[in-house]
Amino acid sequence: MSRAIVIGSGAGGSVSAMVLARAGWDVTILEKGPAVITGIDGTPATEFSNDELKHLRDFARADTTSEPRTYRTSDEDPEPQHGAVQNVPQTVGGGTTQWDAKTPRFWDIDFRKASLLGPVDGADVTDWPFDYAELAPIYDEVEELIGVAGDVDALGPLTRAHAPRTKALPMPAGPPQRGSQLAADGAAKLGWHAFVVPMAINSVPYGGRPACNNCGFCSGYGCPILARAGAIAPLHEALVAGAELRADAMVTALAHDGRRITAVTWRDADGRTHDESADLVVLAANPIESVRLALLSELPDPHGTLGRHLMFHWFTDGTGIFLGERLHGYRGRALTHQLDDFADPDFPGARDAAEAAGLPYLRGGVLEMGGTQMPIDEARSYQQVLGILAPTKPFGTNFKQLMRASLLRDRLLGITMMGEDLPYAGNRIDLDPTLRDWRGTPVARITYTPGVHETAAQAFYLPRIVELLRSAGADVALAIPNLPSARFPLASNTTPATMHVLGGMRMGADPATSVTDEVGRHHQLDNLVVADGGTFPSSGAHNPTLTIMATTMRNARRWT
Amino acid sequence: MTVERRTVLKAVGLAGLAGLLPPGFLAACTASSGSGGAAPATGATGPRGAPGTTLDPDRPYLVLRAHEAAVVEAATARLIPGPLDDAAEVGHPGAREAGVTRYIDTMLGALDLDPTMVFAGGPFSDRAGSATDDFATSIGLTPAQAAGWRTRLDGLRTAYRDGVAELDALAGGDFVAAPPARQDEILATDPGGFMAVLFTHAIEGTYAAPEYGANRDLSGWHEIGFPGDRQPVGWTPDEVSRSDGPDVYVRDGIGDRLLTLLQGTTPS
Repeated sequence: MSRAIVIGSGAGGSVSAMVLARAGWDVTILEKGPAVITGIDGTPATEFSNDELKHLRDFARADTTSEPRTYRTSDEDPEPQHGAVQNVPQTVGGGTTQWDAKTPRFWDIDFRKASLLGPVDGADVTDWPFDYAELAPIYDEVEELIGVAGDVDALGPLTRAHAPRTKALPMPAGPPQRGSQLAADGAAKLGWHAFVVPMAINSVPYGGRPACNNCGFCSGYGCPILARAGAIAPLHEALVAGAELRADAMVTALAHDGRRITAVTWRDADGRTHDESADLVVLAANPIESVRLALLSELPDPHGTLGRHLMFHWFTDGTGIFLGERLHGYRGRALTHQLDDFADPDFPGARDAAEAAGLPYLRGGVLEMGGTQMPIDEARSYQQVLGILAPTKPFGTNFKQLMRASLLRDRLLGITMMGEDLPYAGNRIDLDPTLRDWRGTPVARITYTPGVHETAAQAFYLPRIVELLRSAGADVALAIPNLPSARFPLASNTTPATMHVLGGMRMGADPATSVTDEVGRHHQLDNLVVADGGTFPSSGAHNPTLTIMATTMRNARRWT
Repeated sequence: MTVERRTVLKAVGLAGLAGLLPPGFLAACTASSGSGGAAPATGATGPRGAPGTTLDPDRPYLVLRAHEAAVVEAATARLIPGPLDDAAEVGHPGAREAGVTRYIDTMLGALDLDPTMVFAGGPFSDRAGSATDDFATSIGLTPAQAAGWRTRLDGLRTAYRDGVAELDALAGGDFVAAPPARQDEILATDPGGFMAVLFTHAIEGTYAAPEYGANRDLSGWHEIGFPGDRQPVGWTPDEVSRSDGPDVYVRDGIGDRLLTLLQGTTPS
């Protein structure tokens, strides 16, 4: 029996393990983080809960004191920051334990960007090794596997045209959120097309797990009743097919000789190290940790492509404040509606804005509509703001009045646009030259800055987000870039926290311009494949996790 | 998707103003892992999912000495005042009523507790339909988490020792004995960044689940109309989708100033 070691148990690792185990492979999954969800092969249980402080203390994420990362905007950045940089959960199930579970598909143009939209100066825009038509039936399979709820007939016309479907989703949509509905109504008045987005949250019992009960601690939190799906579904299938899952098992090195990985070294919870070999090694630790491991292991990189073309999705946060109503955003699925008119290069005015910026086109991205923050985060907002509003007494009754009025929680309607990030060689992951983790191992260093496309698209869509909030009835509306850019100095003192981490080991036919081949296999190592968002040649303009799973399912069937 | 807006400064467009804070201080000193230097350390790690014992609310303090606790109590009561602290707050409990000093001491001593109470257990408390309170148990730390917490708590214990001494010095010997107006003046200068640390922790204690040591009788949540954790009952579809009806913001000076500030933040 052939043996596979899968590094990481999130979106990509779980699907890899499932495909290989079902094909008769002896599969071992090594997960760095703890098992916060247990009993996945039978009756699952979890320690996740409706607990804001636990979340703020980075439960099931890396401890960013002992395991920090560094972030800089460019090679010349005089003040690199360190700590929490894209701190995607590290636990059994990976990022999907705390995701928002929105599962839009990428559009047809995402897979044929170079052919259909043309090159962009300074960026390395390229086609994917496959197109939407090839992935469409696999999207169907993944939606069935993890359990996606939604009404395909209610999707927007652009969505249906660019990501056509032939099948209904396995569950009906859940209840719309009040704030999301207001935003959707506001969009309709402007002629834009909002809809309840498909999401991997059970609206009825599915896959042996219960229906969502709308508790409200959703995006960013683990689901206490496991009504929200993700890697848990393919992990279940993998374990039933015989795979073994080891938590608290951190891979520290990949030994290699010639064109093969010869040993995987991992460390258990007690600090002991183990060496194991396998016929196939699947690297699926999220791009930042996957690239870090590749660099620490000194994997061959003859063309200097490893870690490059890192993409995040640049977010723009809209905030609407309603003075006549409390929107109770603490109930339900964080948010329920999206619109993706802004992902269309032909959105009215977008072509002219692109031309003015010297670009062949520009795209924003999907708009997530709804959501707010919880009380501790709200209180911290006022703590910060009071330093400006009331410098002589930035606390006391001033603070409590703000908490009672709840302008930034119960009266807040959040809207976030996830803009498409073009691939630039300079945006990359490497090893920090000085900072080490608590074990003395070099940490990942992120170098990232938006390009002309991103800032031009942001400038174009920012006022449209405000327009939407006003149309929805917000008394005060604002929109703020969420990623650093010299064009937007207000957002300059931040580290990326969008949780969408893509690229770094991009797929492609040409070893000179990519790290992995058309199925995610390493160009120089025959028994190493990559199965996380690192393989994405471009970032798309929608939430990426469904596409990570579908791409992995497509590729994994070609590994054996 | 970050609708949780964990970095709230971004949401309100004031990220640039974070530079007004002592460099790195707030992030390093909140109870979340935040940012901070890596340091080799090892820590005791409890077994995962260890059965916990409900903390005795009258137990001796773990870290704070009696006078330190009194200063922390007095200072946090100025930051989040209750009926005993400010005439405007009659009927509105604050940090004192929530028991914030107990929260802070429990956090500072977390690694001396078994279980640690860094991460409350799950999935349910007994507040919304569960017969047992899983939050009263504690989840053990991984070795990496224990290392991070040991580093941060070492720094925080020092910050509290030094911060209390600084407040006393500025008050001419005993912060507790100073008149409230003088206490406010001292805190407003944020000596050594200590006020920001106290405020952050007072916020956490007041609005976190009561199993962490404060939010006594859910006073923090009741004060702001927040229902708290809702599992396993949750909300009905109607409660998710409906309008709760008109609830008009009552204009006041500080709220209006915030609205004015926010109105002007969108870059153009």
